[in-house]
Amino acid sequence: MADLRLVLVTPEKTLFDRAVASIRVPMFDGSAGIYPARAPLVGRLGIGELKLNGTDGGSESYFVEGGFIQVKGEQVSVLTNGAMPASEISRAAAAAELEQARAEKATSEEELNSLARKLERARKLVSMATVD
Amino acid sequence: MANARSLVKRLKSVRNIRKITRTMELIATGRFKKAMDRATEAAAYTKKLSEIVGDLGKADLNFSHPLLEERAETKKSVLLVLTSNRGLCGGYNGAVLRNTLRHIKQLKEDSIEYTLEVSGKRGIKFLNFQQIDLDRTYIHFEDKPTFAEVDELGLRYVDDYIAGRIDRLDVSYTRFDSISRQEAIVESILPLSSLAGDSDTTGEGGGAGSVDYEFQPSPQEILEELVPAAFRAKLFKCFLDAAVSEQIARMVAMKGATENADEMAATLKQQYNRARQASITSELAEIIGGAAALE
Repeated sequence: MADLRLVLVTPEKTLFDRAVASIRVPMFDGSAGIYPARAPLVGRLGIGELKLNGTDGGSESYFVEGGFIQVKGEQVSVLTNGAMPASEISRAAAAAELEQARAEKATSEEELNSLARKLERARKLVSMATVD
Repeated sequence: MANARSLVKRLKSVRNIRKITRTMELIATGRFKKAMDRATEAAAYTKKLSEIVGDLGKADLNFSHPLLEERAETKKSVLLVLTSNRGLCGGYNGAVLRNTLRHIKQLKEDSIEYTLEVSGKRGIKFLNFQQIDLDRTYIHFEDKPTFAEVDELGLRYVDDYIAGRIDRLDVSYTRFDSISRQEAIVESILPLSSLAGDSDTTGEGGGAGSVDYEFQPSPQEILEELVPAAFRAKLFKCFLDAAVSEQIARMVAMKGATENADEMAATLKQQYNRARQASITSELAEIIGGAAALE
């Protein structure tokens, strides 16, 4: 079966453009798996882990911060505001971010929303952190 | 002789300056390439974004989003001015600031309340000198603005616009058309006129063969996320364009300076040779004259 081609782009650069066997993306309402020959899809992403299995059996994961996904034939495009390889997330930095987000106080609805976003981001970062 | 010596001095200083301008030109060339690469990378994002917009368009829904709606009356606006932190880049800052002043005048005539936000030391200094009050200033956007930094502003503008605290956002910056063409313009980026970052890329996306997409969640909800994303990408593009244009302007200015220095050095060298020759001739004439007098 034909492989998928994953393109991961952020506003700053194209992080990833290779053939992969399967992908797991964080949709707005939970994880979704994408295998070759999936029906075309346009969807909104949440914050979390994007995991991909390479054609050679290896796997990689990236932390992605919202955005969109487009599946068209074998072409999968992931557009996100920010992404980084899981191997670059440090535990200490993630913990510090969570600490900081927790310490913040929100007084208006907008602030509450942005704080909720920050907290979610920090929690996901902590859960994905691999490096000390 | 004194004349020749002073010429040598000047010649030396001109050559030194030439070395400096030449180096600056090379540095600007290097930075320009990097900035250009970043801009092309960013273009990939906008292109994809407009592709998705195109896909949504086929799902036939009416585009309506607070960021797209033009206000009946513009009362408050924000003017964001993008200049460079460093000088020696020819008319780059001058052009942007000239446009800015004109725009401010226009805003005053239309009696629109405005908030002025300036990025770059050059612009800040100039506007302070003109005794124009600045509401916010930024100097941390160097030649490599990151998305996270720009996004901070972007998110604030989105919130302000939706909450009705501002009715318009204008950006005064230098648009990058091509390597040989950059133009200082004032562009309104809020309300968003077109969704697809650049109007010329619209519809280029999935034009061939319509695909029946599955939307998760509904197209409407995707659109709600997509519009702010398109705006933020557009704002980011303004910063990138400004950075690229700055480097080009500096490159061109420094190239001109180097060429001028070359020309000047050649003239000075010639003058020096003439002066040297003249002094030798006059010395000889003196000796011959002296010898003739002795006979």
